[in-house]
Amino acid sequence: MPILKCIVVTPEATLLDEQVEFVALPLSDGEIGIAPNRGPMIGRLGCGEMRVRRQDGTDRYYIDGGFVEVLGNVVSVLTHRGILAEELDEITAEEQLAAARAQPANTPELMAIRARAVAQARAQLRVARRAE
Amino acid sequence: MELISTARFKRAMDRATAAEAYTRRITALVGHLARSGPEVSHPLLEPREETRRALLLVLTGNRGLCGGYNSGVLRLAHARWYEIDSEAPEARLEVSGKRGISAFRLRGIQPDETFDHFENKPTYEEVELLANRYLGAYEAGTLDRLDVVYTRFESLSRQHATVETLLPLGSLDGFDEEENESAADVQYEFLPSVESILDEVVPASFKVKLFKCFLDAAVSEQIARMMAMKAATENADSMIDRLSMAYNRARQGQITAELLEVISGADALDK
Repeated sequence: MPILKCIVVTPEATLLDEQVEFVALPLSDGEIGIAPNRGPMIGRLGCGEMRVRRQDGTDRYYIDGGFVEVLGNVVSVLTHRGILAEELDEITAEEQLAAARAQPANTPELMAIRARAVAQARAQLRVARRAE
Repeated sequence: MELISTARFKRAMDRATAAEAYTRRITALVGHLARSGPEVSHPLLEPREETRRALLLVLTGNRGLCGGYNSGVLRLAHARWYEIDSEAPEARLEVSGKRGISAFRLRGIQPDETFDHFENKPTYEEVELLANRYLGAYEAGTLDRLDVVYTRFESLSRQHATVETLLPLGSLDGFDEEENESAADVQYEFLPSVESILDEVVPASFKVKLFKCFLDAAVSEQIARMMAMKAATENADSMIDRLSMAYNRARQGQITAELLEVISGADALDK
């Protein structure tokens, strides 16, 4: 059976570079699953949970925006931030959500910024809760 | 000092290599996008007709003892600042690094904003905050042009101070393209759409460029310090050699003189 190669890079480090069976990613408008032999694709990522399934188990990460490129069984994920789900802290995420909600939103730009911050914090919280 | 700076340099270098992977991939992605999508256009890419509000960001070190590193950047920064100040009606200056801040104050120029928390390892999060502020200002029209003066890292033996215009970005293929041609005929599926991806890719590549400026500056600073400290160590070694030679000569001279005194004294008693 063909196998996928999954590479996850952030500006600061390469998080993951290994052979996997299946990858699930949060696109900006919903989740996508990538199995081997998928057609070439470029997608925009949202914030949420990325699952990487290997033979010996599944790793879960929180990723924060970026892009995914699939080309010939190589999945490259470029994201601003990637955190292993187990390392996420629910309390910090809740604080972030509260802080995001408290941001002012009296102009359209500020509203967009606030909406984004809230979405990020919610996604983090969701991933953190599922890790338990 | 030499050992410390070597260790720091290695750390900075590792970070820069890690960032390199991201930059390379985002460049490749943009390449694919440009080849299969329509004309690449985005507000950040188009130059403004008139540059009214310009901003100069100068990246220097927090510390000295690193040879010509800070002075190289500052020489260029001063020249560029006078240029911008005379061209644009509203020019702002932002300086990172204590050395740069004090050098500008010395000339009687008060920077509008200063940072000294980017030590030898700037994190992406810190740089992103800065980048978001610039992007916001550019979109809101309170900024027309952003120039960065920093030391570009080319190789271990070559780093030089440069001025780079980051906003407007100009073109996205500013990086070197080493794309193999086989990728050219691949039909990509774009999710959700090319425009949406472009909306995200342009700011992302700006942030990465800015981050790379900071990393380059950090690496170059460590190299400059390593070189300076190496030269200082060698200098001190040769000085120690010279001084111990002089000391031994003086000691030997003194012993000879004492011996002569003793011998001539004994000779005088004999007579």
